[in-house]
Amino acid sequence: MKKAAFALLLLGLLALALAQRYFGDQELEQIKTAGKAYAEVFINQRPDQALCSLHKNRLPADLLPKFLEEQRAQIKYPQSGKLMGDWRKGGAIFNNLQRANCFSCHYGSPVHLGGDVGPSLEKYGLKRGQSEAIQRYTYEVIYNAWAYFPCTVMYRFGAQGLLTPEEIADVVAYLLDPESDFNTKPAVGSR
Amino acid sequence: MRLKAWQVAGLMALWVLAFASAQEGVDPREEAKRQKQLLLETSGILPTELVVEQGKELFQRKGPSGKTMAECDFGLGKGVLEGAAARLPRYFLDTGRVEDLDSRILTCMTRVQGYKREQIRRSEVVAVAFYIASKSTGKKIQVRLLFPQERELYALGEKLFYARSGARDVGCATCHVTYVGKRAGVLPYADVLGKDQSWTHWPAYRYSNDQIWTMQDRIRACYGNIAHPAPDLYSLPILALEVFLAYRNNGAVVEEWPAFVR
Ligand code: HEC
Ligand code: HEC
Repeated sequence: MKKAAFALLLLGLLALALAQRYFGDQELEQIKTAGKAYAEVFINQRPDQALCSLHKNRLPADLLPKFLEEQRAQIKYPQSGKLMGDWRKGGAIFNNLQRANCFSCHYGSPVHLGGDVGPSLEKYGLKRGQSEAIQRYTYEVIYNAWAYFPCTVMYRFGAQGLLTPEEIADVVAYLLDPESDFNTKPAVGSR
Repeated sequence: MRLKAWQVAGLMALWVLAFASAQEGVDPREEAKRQKQLLLETSGILPTELVVEQGKELFQRKGPSGKTMAECDFGLGKGVLEGAAARLPRYFLDTGRVEDLDSRILTCMTRVQGYKREQIRRSEVVAVAFYIASKSTGKKIQVRLLFPQERELYALGEKLFYARSGARDVGCATCHVTYVGKRAGVLPYADVLGKDQSWTHWPAYRYSNDQIWTMQDRIRACYGNIAHPAPDLYSLPILALEVFLAYRNNGAVVEEWPAFVR
């Protein structure tokens, strides 16, 4: 009984994968002429990546509810249940080009001049407060931005394994904690 | 004009030193123009001209079969170079394949001149590409999708351009459509499908790292930007992206080939 359910689940996943493939078999054969390592990235393309590629990042309205639900389902939380961790650790992650590189896209860091790809986060915690809802929203956007902004360019830090849930909670604290440098010191570039 | 390899290397080293002091924070295209002018005034010759000269010598060199590259057809008939590069990539009946400038040079050297594939150095292909491209300065890009093979590669190129993949979910369009005009450090992301007419900027000499690149090298470097393993030279994905980019830049006039860029 259990086995049958598992097989059904596998079949279902397979059907989903097939339905949401971006490159066809013939195209993948052509892609392989460029070398194994190159091709593997496309062979391993995720179904949600395929969907965003297929629709050039603008998903049709009828696909949205299911897409958002699937993205939401990928979000995991810290063992402790606490969504705000250590803001100092979070700052080291936020401001490190090799780690999360948040500042390249967002304005507001007191350490680096921020970019303008994403919205400004200047004094984020002072403006939004620290309510449970804001903590959750901020955590979830960082964990999986596609759960709020389908196909956005912001990396899916948790969902893609770039940051652990604990590290994300540290970054949330960096943005929200009123004591955090992010909220007490002026952003680089502010007048 | 004949320059020995060490002379070229010496000159280039000097130029690099001169550029190392170039300031950051200015429009890279204006800056490239300025650097080019500076170079002309100080040394009287541009690296692009040197490479074109090398390419010309290679073009006129006889291969094992006793033939020079003038025996090859680059799309407009045997030995016709005027405007040929502006019409590449295209489908060639003799090979039954779509070829760009780089791969057509390979075809010429192997099939007509009798070289073995493994004898051919990449630097020679690039130099010849510089020479042939120089004959298309002032010409309009005219790439057609007449043959099914051309249309098939265009479609693949478009898909590759918009494909999002890897742990950061990125693809070419992420920078060159979504981020156009935004900056990564000093470099603004070019609108490669539109107003920047990027197809007409390559092949080029890049003074920032003193390298000579064709579009093949440019595309491979961009895969490096997204931590994606680079596609092999002369492979179908590169060709497909080129057909897509070139076709989207149809009608653009080549200001100068080879170009001089940051
Ligand atoms: C590649 C660019 C990029 C990177 C890197 C990036 N973001 Fe974002 N971020 C965006 C964009 C773009 C949006 C807006 C979403 C949209 O509309 O598509 C956004 C939205 C947000 C929001 C919601 C803002 C609001 O006003 O509700 C938060 C919070 C946020 N990002 C935090 C972060 C943090 C923290 C990091 C690093 C761990 C980060 N971002 C890294 C591009 C980026
Ligand atoms: C992470 C950002 C990023 C991504 C993704 C990216 N590029 Fe680029 N690309 C750049 C930058 C930065 C430059 C400018 C570099 C310079 O000026 O030397 C550039 C330059 C170019 C140019 C030359 C523009 C000109 O006007 O001369 C072309 C063509 C190009 N990229 C094609 C591609 C293709 C094809 C892909 C996908 C395989 C791609 N890029 C992916 C950042 C990116």
